[in-house]
Amino acid sequence: MNFIVALILGIFFGFSLNKAGLTKYNKIVNVFRFTDMAVLQFMMTALVVAMSGLFALRGLGLITFPTVPATYVVGNIVGGLIFGVGMAMSGYCPGTCAAGAGEGKLDYIFPGLLGFLTGAVIYGLTYQQVFPAISAIANYGSTTIPDLWNLSPLLTVVFFALMSFMLFYLIDRAGWQRKGNL
Amino acid sequence: MKFILNYIRKEVWSPYVAGILLGLVGIAAVWISNSLLGASGAFEDLAGLIGRAAAPKLFDNMYFNFIMPPGITTSVILVLGIFFGGMIGAATSGTLKWGKKDSANSDEQWKRVFGNQTWKRWGIAFIGAIILEYAAGIAGGCTSGLAISGGMLLAPSAFLFIAGMFASGIVTALIIYRNRY
Repeated sequence: MNFIVALILGIFFGFSLNKAGLTKYNKIVNVFRFTDMAVLQFMMTALVVAMSGLFALRGLGLITFPTVPATYVVGNIVGGLIFGVGMAMSGYCPGTCAAGAGEGKLDYIFPGLLGFLTGAVIYGLTYQQVFPAISAIANYGSTTIPDLWNLSPLLTVVFFALMSFMLFYLIDRAGWQRKGNL
Repeated sequence: MKFILNYIRKEVWSPYVAGILLGLVGIAAVWISNSLLGASGAFEDLAGLIGRAAAPKLFDNMYFNFIMPPGITTSVILVLGIFFGGMIGAATSGTLKWGKKDSANSDEQWKRVFGNQTWKRWGIAFIGAIILEYAAGIAGGCTSGLAISGGMLLAPSAFLFIAGMFASGIVTALIIYRNRY
């Protein structure tokens, strides 16, 4: 990726985060309270659109996939578990914090960006003691669900899309979103 | 046309519309440059850069030499783009906070629940941010680099990460909000 492409993709990425409302503390934390499911709706929509497009383009032979993020079961789950704690405390994740910083929010610029840099330093200095051990457990490498379980990619994408639509229905029409504005 | 312009000016879109836009950006990243979106990696690159300047010996290790060589990488430029994207988004709805009085403690819900003290917001957010970046390192990416970018390629890792994130996010929110959950 060259710098100009990266900058333009980043701008559209940050713009979508802002318009989805994810650069607000309450949007992030309220998904964990089930009072505002925008984070989940936003993520699942992005996933359905992107996976449909990408698997279709690959099927047509127009693209090849870049290196798929590696699966090492325990590390992925433990990382996710720790990540959720930080998300509920701060009300951001690295991407939404960068976008919120651009909006001029000082509680994103200072504790956020400096916190990430601090976390990155601590991680880099303890990497050798932590990562090789945890990523060795149940490590499947760069793989996808269709490859791992020998499924049709098309059916997997269709299944994921149907699951997402069902979830959207439950959130929007069947009252899965609680009332409880603070 | 007028409808579209008015929609762009809205502060918060339907999450479905914004999600479609993000999905298209994810496709574009792969199609144009065979790469994935991500945010947490950029902070590793910058941390290495700053660390090398401040304490070269300490940062001369396996991680900063081989795993995440420091520098102004495309990840850093992507995060810079995210910064400007957030700025443009807020500008179109007239909600930029630069120089505004409430920019230090920007969320109404936070203030109603935890009070107006800025140090409290900053302290908890700072610790949260450290946790986020460390966790992203262990998991192999954050919400963008692993959950979105991995999920769109149907990587199992992405869904394991999302499951963990929601499980602990819910528990943490329960603990923090207690009877106001």
